[in-house]
Amino acid sequence: MDFTFSDEQTLMRDSVSRYLQRDYGFDARQAIVGSAKGWSSDVWARLGEMGLLAAPFPEEVGGLGGSIVDVVAITEVLGAHLVAEPYIGSVVMAGGALAAAPDGTVSAGWLERVVAGEAIGAFAHEEGPGTPDPALVATRAERTAAGGFALTGEKKVVLHGADADVLVVSARLAGEPGDAGGLGLFAVERGTAGLTVTPFTTVDGRRAAHVRFERAEVAADALLAPEAHDLVQRVVARSIVALAAEAVGAMGELLGRTAEYASAREQFGVPIASFQAVAHRLADMKVAHIKARATLLYTTALAEAGRARPHDIAVLKVQAGRLGRTIGESAIQTHGGVGMTDELPIGHLVKRILASEAMFGGTEYHLRTLGAGL
Amino acid sequence: MDIEPDADIEKFRAEVTEFLDTAPTPEIREAGRKTTSAFAPFEQAMAWQKILHARGWAAPSWPAEYGGPGWSIEQQYVFASEYQKRGLPPLLPNSLRMVGPLLMDIGTPEQKATYLPRILAGEDYWTQGYSEPGAGSDLASLSCSAVADGDDYVINGSKIWTTLAHKANRMFMLVRTSREGKKQQGITFLLLDRVDYPGMQIRPIVGLDGEPEQCEVFFDDVRVPQSGRVGAENDGWSVAKHLLKHERGGSAHSPALHERIRMIRRAAGDTPSPFGGTLADDPVFQRDLGELEADVASHEHFEKLAISGHPVSQDPAYPSINKLISSELTQRISVLMTRVVGLDGLPDQHDALHVGSDTAPLGGDLALIAMPFYLNSRATTIYAGTNEVQRDLVARTLRA
Repeated sequence: MDFTFSDEQTLMRDSVSRYLQRDYGFDARQAIVGSAKGWSSDVWARLGEMGLLAAPFPEEVGGLGGSIVDVVAITEVLGAHLVAEPYIGSVVMAGGALAAAPDGTVSAGWLERVVAGEAIGAFAHEEGPGTPDPALVATRAERTAAGGFALTGEKKVVLHGADADVLVVSARLAGEPGDAGGLGLFAVERGTAGLTVTPFTTVDGRRAAHVRFERAEVAADALLAPEAHDLVQRVVARSIVALAAEAVGAMGELLGRTAEYASAREQFGVPIASFQAVAHRLADMKVAHIKARATLLYTTALAEAGRARPHDIAVLKVQAGRLGRTIGESAIQTHGGVGMTDELPIGHLVKRILASEAMFGGTEYHLRTLGAGL
Repeated sequence: MDIEPDADIEKFRAEVTEFLDTAPTPEIREAGRKTTSAFAPFEQAMAWQKILHARGWAAPSWPAEYGGPGWSIEQQYVFASEYQKRGLPPLLPNSLRMVGPLLMDIGTPEQKATYLPRILAGEDYWTQGYSEPGAGSDLASLSCSAVADGDDYVINGSKIWTTLAHKANRMFMLVRTSREGKKQQGITFLLLDRVDYPGMQIRPIVGLDGEPEQCEVFFDDVRVPQSGRVGAENDGWSVAKHLLKHERGGSAHSPALHERIRMIRRAAGDTPSPFGGTLADDPVFQRDLGELEADVASHEHFEKLAISGHPVSQDPAYPSINKLISSELTQRISVLMTRVVGLDGLPDQHDALHVGSDTAPLGGDLALIAMPFYLNSRATTIYAGTNEVQRDLVARTLRA
């Protein structure tokens, strides 16, 4: 058993950290998030040059032959630096779905462009209050007389939905919400008629969109997979692992910054970390971070070996959410007034954790699946 | 990253399970079902240790040179895991996990030769004389004194929370040998060959769970040989700190916690909910159990990272973090146990809990142990350094 990153992965993490520390400090990041585009093509190109976009994909599509371990190694660092560029949305989610689709569809072409950084992909899957179980999808895909499909429905919080050249969409060919069967996966190009994209910035500074399909027509070859329930479930699991890695990265950053602040900040003539009430909160933050990171690394190793069950993914989702909140709320409280300002990274790190908690089923949903032994 | 266990581990697991399925007597299994504490019923735990010793497995973590099996850390985890799955009573910790490893590290050759084989074989049981009525978390302020006189020390004072002193035949203790300088500098660590020296008196203390697990020990001009000293005179504090590492340190708690959760789940499936169906269908119960499942899983992941040699185990806060997590999980599990059994937890089943008792238990397996387990587990956040002290230690590693 070995739960450490390889030397190669560690080198990559170090160089990404160094680059982000230098060129993606908090002020630079805030300027990028506040720009019209909301993320930086230059940063994106640099991440591509460093091999991050290609890391987890097979060599046939231009990838570097890495795995979920590379995704986690990378996204933990991206989370600590609050990266707003479309790594999770385009590479992990859309790229993951395209890579999982069977050969002989348009998926390979899109995937090569995503891997090369020439196209942005988005994964349009979640609906209503969240869609952790693909069987819940209600969006429909009807066959058209022309032999293609017409999609109708609404997808929520599609990361980089307005930036995307291609949307990878889950939609029902048959059956009703709740049925595992009849779920299809489609590639829908930007600008397709019947597509309404409502863009926004998420609380944690990512660009995203609600996407409405009103008989949005696509050609027959846009169907990437006809019975896609299990495929979508794997993509959701992969997305949960990457979001958890980002959250754990943010937790580590919060812990470090809060410990440093409490050691330096003096009140009543002494550092506030010398007060037991504060010291114990710091201790609980460290315990929470260690637990969350242990579960992240263990689950990653399970996923790498193809042994991560839905139960394991639910544990990771729950722990990243609950322990992340413990750390986030403690970080704000320990920083006091300045922890409430927009001017420190603290609140932004907390918001990134909250955003991952809400995606692909909240804590309540996953807790109940664990408690019910599902 | 690689989660696959080493190739031989499944062969090893088969060997372990074959033994654990066949070796324990019915009384030992009964003692396992009736364990409501970190300390299993004394007689059966010692009998079980002798059986394990005959197989060479009484002390999985002991090095081979002292009679341990010489297992890898992964093998030790597999053993602990299969052991817990069967609900077998844990071996008593004081001798095997505390004074034994301490003597290996810093005992004299004579002390090692005299005591280690008897500890391993289950012939001796050592009680721990640390706390005093006036010295708990602030242990260094202890005052039970030992004055050198010829080849002996003469001890006066008292010790408290000496677990199972009334069943033990030996005792390790901290005494004050000097009042000069810092209070940590006048402490000496002693081994007592007997607990019935003239002038020694042991008073069992009945706990919240109705069991006399703890004791108070009084010393009135008790004369013991100086040869029982470990380390130098007045250097007992560093000896004690060394031992504490063994007391709080790495082990495999999560398999036992998983087993308790399975027990709760089974009982909930048999318990009608006032809202219809069983308690297992109740959303509030599912949420609570889900939180415990997730936290026990994280503890398992933490333990497995540690046994695999991940840097997390080299963190100076590691023993304290381990103690915090496992003690607080034990308590939370005990709370859910009492809530699941509800009214069935109220009968005082003290008699039925004794191994070999003729008194039939009322209610199911969980109803028998839930309340005493809950009450006893309040101690987990107090002993081996309160959790407040552990949090202080963890926080210290974060100070810039």
